[in-house]
Amino acid sequence: MLGAAAAGGLGLGTFLQPCVADELAKNDKQVLLIWLDGGMSQLESWDPKPNTEFGGPFRAIPTSVPGIHVCELLKHTAKQMHHLAVLRSVCTQDNSHSAGVARINRGDPKNRGVEYPYLGSAVAKLLGPTSSGMPPYIWIKPNSGGFKASDAGFLGAKYGALALGDGKPPENLLLNKSISSEEDELRNELRRKFNDRYAVGRRTEWTDANSYVYELAQKLMKRDDLFDESSFTDKDRQRYGTHELGRHLLLARRTLETGVRFVKVNSYHWDSHGDNFNASESLISQFDQPFAALIEDLHQRNMLDNVLVIVMSEFGRTPKINSHVGRDHWPEAWSIAMAGAGIRKGVVVGKTNDQGTFVEDKPYDIGHLFHTWFKAMGVPPDKMEYDNQGQPLPVAHDDCGPIAELLV
Amino acid sequence: MDDTTSLSEFEPKPTKQVIEYERQLFQARFSPCGKFLIASGYDATIQRWAVSGNETKRLSPCLGHHAWVPCLAFIPTTERIVSADSWGQIAVWQYADETPAPVWKNDAAHDGWVRAVAVSPDGQRIASGGNDRMLRIWSAADGKLIKEWPHPEKIFSLCFHPSGSSLVSGDLKGVIRDWDIDTATVRRELDARVLYQLDKIQECGGVRHLSFNHDGKRLACAGQKTPGGGFSTGFPCVLVFDWDDGQLLREMQMGKNDDGFAYDAIFHPAGFVMATSCAFPGKGFVWCWTPQSEKPFFESTSIPNGRSLSLHPDGRRIALLVSKSANGNGRVLVQGVYQGGSAQIHILEF
Repeated sequence: MLGAAAAGGLGLGTFLQPCVADELAKNDKQVLLIWLDGGMSQLESWDPKPNTEFGGPFRAIPTSVPGIHVCELLKHTAKQMHHLAVLRSVCTQDNSHSAGVARINRGDPKNRGVEYPYLGSAVAKLLGPTSSGMPPYIWIKPNSGGFKASDAGFLGAKYGALALGDGKPPENLLLNKSISSEEDELRNELRRKFNDRYAVGRRTEWTDANSYVYELAQKLMKRDDLFDESSFTDKDRQRYGTHELGRHLLLARRTLETGVRFVKVNSYHWDSHGDNFNASESLISQFDQPFAALIEDLHQRNMLDNVLVIVMSEFGRTPKINSHVGRDHWPEAWSIAMAGAGIRKGVVVGKTNDQGTFVEDKPYDIGHLFHTWFKAMGVPPDKMEYDNQGQPLPVAHDDCGPIAELLV
Repeated sequence: MDDTTSLSEFEPKPTKQVIEYERQLFQARFSPCGKFLIASGYDATIQRWAVSGNETKRLSPCLGHHAWVPCLAFIPTTERIVSADSWGQIAVWQYADETPAPVWKNDAAHDGWVRAVAVSPDGQRIASGGNDRMLRIWSAADGKLIKEWPHPEKIFSLCFHPSGSSLVSGDLKGVIRDWDIDTATVRRELDARVLYQLDKIQECGGVRHLSFNHDGKRLACAGQKTPGGGFSTGFPCVLVFDWDDGQLLREMQMGKNDDGFAYDAIFHPAGFVMATSCAFPGKGFVWCWTPQSEKPFFESTSIPNGRSLSLHPDGRRIALLVSKSANGNGRVLVQGVYQGGSAQIHILEF
């Protein structure tokens, strides 16, 4: 067990050494996770195998890094390759949605009978809010919003995600114009009294979470500019695109600018079991354009060295093209892309075989990537543990370590 | 063809003749002389078989394409075919040669995926189009570019009217355009939008195939009705239009909403439409339907996963190309080897 007695004020309930606590207190690193729910075909994106049995119809194109090629469907992203790192030797364990989503998002730690947090909740716990004081974990997603506690696992509801459904503020967040700030403060004082009385005799993690959500809401109410879509320029809208993922990545840029620690952007329906190549044309273009714009903007704003950007899915897609011209689920050999804080620029790590069917050199599982990302963020997984009501738990898979070739 | 008693003679029956090919194919067509069966594949090749009676013999392939070869068309009055690939190359071949070499080829005929080629009835011109939204007209003899103009959408299918007066294009959004080639303008549009759908965030469907009947009075367009994203589910569907007035004569919707795309639809000289559809393994079928009737007079699921149909010049035999490629998540190895898909060409007979 690591330095339990030394746990500092930051990350209460997290065992860590004093020197690490000092470092983490100064850490303003941020994360953007782009989650493509289902799987984006690695062969139509990061790891093309043109003119091979499973290569599909598309060409490979050169990128801004000599010698690195990607699929032609990533024509905008290709120009930003000098900022990116791509791991082409991802080999994970699940080929089904039901198991794959949680397993990847939790970093697939060893089973210790607890439900591990998703990456966003883990970062919210380990690093807390940045110095901006903004909520540590915001999730921009299609459909409904609200506070989503399910990502937090054993950490408790407080470390869940504040979800902005279709990028909109939570319902009734903004102060009704008929209520003055003085009246608002009075009613909040009353609410706090009620909350205190309600908390007596109830489980702390739930009452804490309840109060915490109100505090979050109050912070967000002071930043209602975050949700003002009219303040985006026409040029920005054009560069990111007016489709769902484009709008949400543009909002993600602003959310990062306000200092949110961890931003997750979800896009759904990446599951081209049929007609994969037309589907890939339709879907990947919706990712490529805004993603390239976002990387360019983070760089130009001098934010990229501070923001870790991750693009991942549940799995890749089968090399085999089925009779319905689709690709099914393939965890055996796929790619994950990343950029920014602590990550090397303009590199491809790992290799699949000539047919793209299996990893040719060392395969890496999601546990290796959690170690890598924690290290890139300045969170040393080997010096920290979760404290689950006295049960010490490693923050990432015990048997894995960081992928050195991806790290600065 | 209103007399239903006469239709029974046009119910295709499988023969024992099945040609196996080790990779997947897009289409397999009898040559106009009937002596060859030509197929284009996922493997950048054009495969040939000599046809003699009930025998077929595999010949050397046409080699030189770079990627998928979804497009193939015969050039009338010659023994040539035109093919196009997904990297933008168009080539013309002397298909009856012992070892065919390109008569001409253009590596950069289009920027990327060529999805359709068509040959004018006089065999003089080749039309091509695809993802780059450009319609191009080439000299069939030497590959010289005659004319080009932009197309509003990705081009999924092309065909010439038998009179040569119109070039017809079908696009992703289900719009069929009747082009005046001389002026490069649209005379009119036909509505096949039921073959397109924006399903959540994915654009789905498109007019996958176009063909006229022999006198040019009817146009068939094939695709999938209410196409969905993900599993790409929808109803196989062929729309038949009256070419003179542009009115929809018949919507030939088949099966269930997971029976896939109608990839091919051809008119039999007797006036009915033969079509085939393909979806996940075991799904999709062959059917025959007269535009005057509300229902098909023949449908069969005995040979699923059809990709193309070709009628032999004898009017008796049909080449039905099917895809053989299982679906399924994760690692499936056969004797330690990861398996790709293959194709079969079934010879049917009336």
